[in-house]
Amino acid sequence: MSSARTHTADPIAPAGAPARATRRRPAARYRLTSGILLAVLCIVMVVPFIWMALSVTKPTNIAFLNPPVIWGYQPTFDAFVNLWETTYFADYLVNTVAVAAIATIVALAIGLPAAYALSRFPSWISAWLLVLALVFRALPRFAVVLPMYDISRALGIYDTTFALAIALVAINQPFTIWLLRNFFAEVPRELDEAAMLDGCGRFAVLRRIMIPLMGPGILTAAIFVFLFAFQEYLTAVVLTDTSSKTVPVFIATQLGQNLPMLQQAGAASILLTIPVVVIAFVAQKYLVSGLSDGAVKG
Amino acid sequence: MGALLILPLLRTIEWSLQNVSYGNPGTFVGIDNFVRALTDERFGRAVMFTVTLTVISTVILVALGYTVASATNRLGVSRPLVLGILLISYVLPNLVGAVAFSWLFDDSFGGLVNRVIQMLGGTPVLWFTDQLPNAAIIIANTVWFLLPFAVLVIMAGLQGVPAEIIEAGTIDGANAWQMHLHVIIPTIRSTLGFVALITIMDVLRTFDSLIPLSPQAATIGNESIMMYVYSIAFANGAQQLGLGSAVNVITIVIILVMLIPFIRTVFREAKALS
Repeated sequence: MSSARTHTADPIAPAGAPARATRRRPAARYRLTSGILLAVLCIVMVVPFIWMALSVTKPTNIAFLNPPVIWGYQPTFDAFVNLWETTYFADYLVNTVAVAAIATIVALAIGLPAAYALSRFPSWISAWLLVLALVFRALPRFAVVLPMYDISRALGIYDTTFALAIALVAINQPFTIWLLRNFFAEVPRELDEAAMLDGCGRFAVLRRIMIPLMGPGILTAAIFVFLFAFQEYLTAVVLTDTSSKTVPVFIATQLGQNLPMLQQAGAASILLTIPVVVIAFVAQKYLVSGLSDGAVKG
Repeated sequence: MGALLILPLLRTIEWSLQNVSYGNPGTFVGIDNFVRALTDERFGRAVMFTVTLTVISTVILVALGYTVASATNRLGVSRPLVLGILLISYVLPNLVGAVAFSWLFDDSFGGLVNRVIQMLGGTPVLWFTDQLPNAAIIIANTVWFLLPFAVLVIMAGLQGVPAEIIEAGTIDGANAWQMHLHVIIPTIRSTLGFVALITIMDVLRTFDSLIPLSPQAATIGNESIMMYVYSIAFANGAQQLGLGSAVNVITIVIILVMLIPFIRTVFREAKALS
């Protein structure tokens, strides 16, 4: 695209230096404008985190002063130490990671065979799947989660990491299967047929041929399931109480409390932001491919 | 696994016709809950707010998403850096992002934005207790965390625009504006439609971000439909499960109606393929 845009030589106009110069100027201005736009945007996107990081590394007595103190204080990590010592943050963090890990494993264990089967069926079935994935994505969460609360109470599994993980698998499964199906659909069917001629069953084809071929696709799906579980607030606030509380629920309960507790909420937020920044850069390739394949191809 | 979604949904439909509380069998009351929901002023306000939020956010997201996607698409070595920064707000839990976002506006956290407004000679704004300023920061937050999604999907669409079309446009003497409006945008129309669809669905169920951004949502009239359901059917021991379920069922019907044109396109495309 960019190369197409720079070839602006007009076949009708006489070729000459002045014509070229006038044509190049708008392109350069265009480049400059879009560069400035992106720079401003990047700053706007990160300002909330910078402000929060500043607020939690100030001593508590000056952290929330208005007008804000910006220079001349001694930065401190007291809020983090405080968070660690006076709350169960470590437990909540373990819960959050455990929920996300269990959800990822279960979602893939169910999603891989299902998506493989669907990719080998005619395309109207995948059209239905796409519609289902969208409908379930759009569902008001409470329509599913409030009954789940009632059922999990009745079954005695309320407030367990496992129940929350399974609920999240169910809620996100249509999306997972749809994403995986798109990756499977790219593998030619001739490969299955060749393997089956050599005496492989369907499951052996899946295990020995498909899964090794689909490494990046599976990783993409895994990252998305993990992130969805890690981000979830609504389901977690309904299905957990004390023993399986996750970090977003903890942060929400700290809001509206007194200042040291607010600073702890900020510290907890910053601690969650750091791994997220790492993921945004390290796993960028997979996030981009999940968003473009999961979204654009039908 | 499918049963884990279907059974709760059936339970919601059952509850919507009952007078019921958690753990107790309900009694059938017909469409009473629906009548109550549709005549409840608070529900009406929640619908108004949610729909307005959705329309404004979607328009901004598609327009800004397209602008940013075409700018990012032209980047060279700095592209991974820009994408990485953009992705942070998408990957972070909404609630956490909204907490960070709210601190910029909250005067008890130094109120950075109000300081800047004062430095420029304006008067400080009551971001959390006045309806319109509060709605503005909710829209800003929604755009902030959904923009990465819009940009990435539109970028994928832009990469699918054939180079010949652009060249043809150039030969015809189209300037940059005309190129975008008459060549590129019509080509990726379905991608833009898809972004709008997903955005609409995501914003309609806004919940997490309102907890830090609008602590007084119900009083100032900035309550979303999901917040309304939460506060009547769950929060602080609330038990109006029948009414909450009726609101859920109404929302599902609205969403299904909105999805019909899209569902038809999907099936037409599937038929064309087979």
